[in-house]
Amino acid sequence: MATRNRTTVYRKHRDACKSARAPLSDSFGGPVIEMVSGSFARSNHSSYAPLSTNDPGPSSDDAFTIGLPPAWVDDSEEITFNIQKVRDKMGELAKAHSKALMPTFGDNRGDQRVVEMLTHEITDLLRKSEKRLHNLSTRGGPSQESNLRKNVQRSLATDLQSLSMELRRKQSTYLKRLQQQKEGQDGVDLEFNMNGKMSRLDEDEELGGMGFDEHQTVKLKEGQHVSAEREREIQQVLGSVNDLAQIMKDLSALVIDQGTIVDRIDYNIQNVSSSVEEGYKQLQKAERTQREGAMVKCATILLILCLIMIVLLILKNVLF
Amino acid sequence: MVLVTSVRDYINRMLHDISGMKVLILDSETVSNVSIVYSQSELLQKEVFLVEMIDSIPVSKESMSHLKAVYFVRPTSENIQKLRYQLANPRFGEHHLFFSNLLKDTQIHILADSDEHEAVQQVQEFYADFVAGDPYHFTLNMPSNHLYMLPAVVDPSGLQRYSDRVVDGIAALFLALKRRPVIRYQRTSDTAKRIAQETAKLMYQHESGLFDFRRTESSPLLLVIDRRDDPVTPLLNQWTYQAMVHELIGLQDNKVDLRAIGSLPKDQQEVVLSSEQDAFFKSNMYENFGDIGMNIKRMVDDFQQVAKSNQNIQTVEDMARFVDNYPEYKKMQGNVSKHVTLVTEMSKLVEARKLMLVSQTEQDLACNGGQGAAYEAVTDLLNNESVSDIDRLRLVMLYALRYEKENPVQLMQLFNKLASRSPKYKPGLVQFLLKQAGVEKRTGDLFGNRDLMNIARNMARGLKGVENVYTQHQPLLFQTMESITRGRLRDVDYPFVGDHFQQGRPQEVVIFMVGGTTYEESRSVALQNATNSGIRFILGGTAVLNSKRFLLDLEEAQRIARSGSHMV
Repeated sequence: MATRNRTTVYRKHRDACKSARAPLSDSFGGPVIEMVSGSFARSNHSSYAPLSTNDPGPSSDDAFTIGLPPAWVDDSEEITFNIQKVRDKMGELAKAHSKALMPTFGDNRGDQRVVEMLTHEITDLLRKSEKRLHNLSTRGGPSQESNLRKNVQRSLATDLQSLSMELRRKQSTYLKRLQQQKEGQDGVDLEFNMNGKMSRLDEDEELGGMGFDEHQTVKLKEGQHVSAEREREIQQVLGSVNDLAQIMKDLSALVIDQGTIVDRIDYNIQNVSSSVEEGYKQLQKAERTQREGAMVKCATILLILCLIMIVLLILKNVLF
Repeated sequence: MVLVTSVRDYINRMLHDISGMKVLILDSETVSNVSIVYSQSELLQKEVFLVEMIDSIPVSKESMSHLKAVYFVRPTSENIQKLRYQLANPRFGEHHLFFSNLLKDTQIHILADSDEHEAVQQVQEFYADFVAGDPYHFTLNMPSNHLYMLPAVVDPSGLQRYSDRVVDGIAALFLALKRRPVIRYQRTSDTAKRIAQETAKLMYQHESGLFDFRRTESSPLLLVIDRRDDPVTPLLNQWTYQAMVHELIGLQDNKVDLRAIGSLPKDQQEVVLSSEQDAFFKSNMYENFGDIGMNIKRMVDDFQQVAKSNQNIQTVEDMARFVDNYPEYKKMQGNVSKHVTLVTEMSKLVEARKLMLVSQTEQDLACNGGQGAAYEAVTDLLNNESVSDIDRLRLVMLYALRYEKENPVQLMQLFNKLASRSPKYKPGLVQFLLKQAGVEKRTGDLFGNRDLMNIARNMARGLKGVENVYTQHQPLLFQTMESITRGRLRDVDYPFVGDHFQQGRPQEVVIFMVGGTTYEESRSVALQNATNSGIRFILGGTAVLNSKRFLLDLEEAQRIARSGSHMV
């Protein structure tokens, strides 16, 4: 696919034009020091306003004077940073999951705690990012700035949603495998229990039953303890799944459906202009309703006060 | 594939090298070029968070210097002026200018002159100057399409602008494909000849350096033909999905606007029909109406199955699965309702306008012989109250095109009947059509009754019968493509420009139809390409016609011709 770069030709012309302009202005300039808002200023992303008297003077809304982006850009940058952190942590979480699920002889409580902690951190980051995302929503009428913010919001919402879905999927597989393990262990406990009961019946005739009972009870208690812990973990994972589901629901309102008309660039451009008018009409309607709403409230309060007064009056008459 | 991919590649390259938050600024033509191949969500992924039109950049005081501006516009004088104004008061941090066609040196000079703040980082030419709707079909969406019908003396500057735009579009296409073709044109059309010669001048003389690509064994062929050689295809009613939607409702840049039709839910008022994004559409766009109905029913059944299983949520796992699959489900639902709505609306229109009846006669007029029977049929339909005006007009036009020379008395009777029945009919329109595209003006054998071979073939077909009487028509383009495939395109009818010549058969052929293409022809090209005959065809035109648009162009041309003759 062919292209042609005209930048060098362009630059040559531009420099030629500049040098043609410069000697002209020198002729009126006199001893005034001119600061050239030229190429060196561009590269610093700031500019020095030309101080020469020839210049009409920069207006305060010269786009060059302030190079700082508006405040909401900080929000969006922080969210992007969070998204990157979440991605890293998801990698760690995957490793922690597989470690926690490995059958061990000892107690793998430490691994489970690591899993819990990571999941908490990730969910927290996602929730924080989502709250921040709402800060990007615009107030006031539609403008170029608000359109920009809306699009940034959409893009970040899509990323956050895909991350939440990934997390949920990972968690549900972890949960499933935990459950399988737990059942396995319960099955062992049950067996143990049954064996314990049977042996107790057998041993009942004998006098050594007590000692065995204790042995069985201890084993039983241990088994119960372990399964209770597994229960707790599962509950926790379920809880975070619910959290995520909530976040996803909120985000899905912001994400674009692909392949539909809203995903078309020309449709979005058309709608910007029509939505300005719509927005204005809606604002007017809202204002009207609000005023009327206030009226209704006042009227109701007055009515209630009247009723109270009447009641007091009646009471006064009755008592005296 | 090749057209859509070229435009996408251009856009990807534009956005790839520039990091950070970007704003994309388009003009009214490039917005179509871009929207048809690139979606909003893909733009967002490339960090383009704002899209603006160059004419409506507000003179607001908002400083957007944290954004980098990517301009993608046509190098017209109006756009250059707007750019000048914007460069004099730059609002964005950086400005990257991409033009969709060749820049003249004077234009560069003007821009450089007004760039006092040195706001422009780069100026490039990226040749995505056509609307790539389908893999092998493009259009230029030209507004005053009727100019090709008028002789040059009527509006010389208008025709020059028209011809320039076409030449620019064709040049951009070949630059995107990185080829330089051998050029042939239709002898009987002045406009086609002019365009062919100007394209040759551009590619071989003015910008021969730019077009000097690596030679392949056989050069591609550019064939410039005129719509008036086949006026029958745009007048016919269509029964294959894409063509039918365009004919009955209207397809613009792969979008269908259903707002005029009844009351529909908000998300179905405007829909997108794109073979790239919609798998069902891709497999059904060339199928006829009956088959589409069956396929849609199958799709609806599949969807109902999925919906039923989604209602059966009993365990937590089911719930989790439902939430996971919800986006897919929603997409499927949207797609199903879109197609069902379209087919329902089209069925309603077919019923209301009695199109089954009308179309049968149309196809007979286009394909089979028998003047007497044709006259009877057309008169019957003209007398039928429920046939709409536009359908009556089309029938008379088709009859006139076919039986122009036979039985002039009956032809006159039909004209009179048409004028008396249709109050809005502009008198003389049919005669104007005959003057433009009558039997003397046409090169190709439109009705298969000139060449002995064709007559024999038609008789054989009549005896064998056809599968579907509504889709029996083959556009003239099909015969042209066959001749090219066999290497038998006559030099007498389609001469070469200048001293071009072609060895053997070309492997790539671009057919440009001045005056517009139709979706029936695009379907013909797609089906031909699917046969893998060793030649790849690409079709393009100044617009995509349906019968309404073609008749509008005719009326506009007639109006101008009339007023011109008054002045003379």
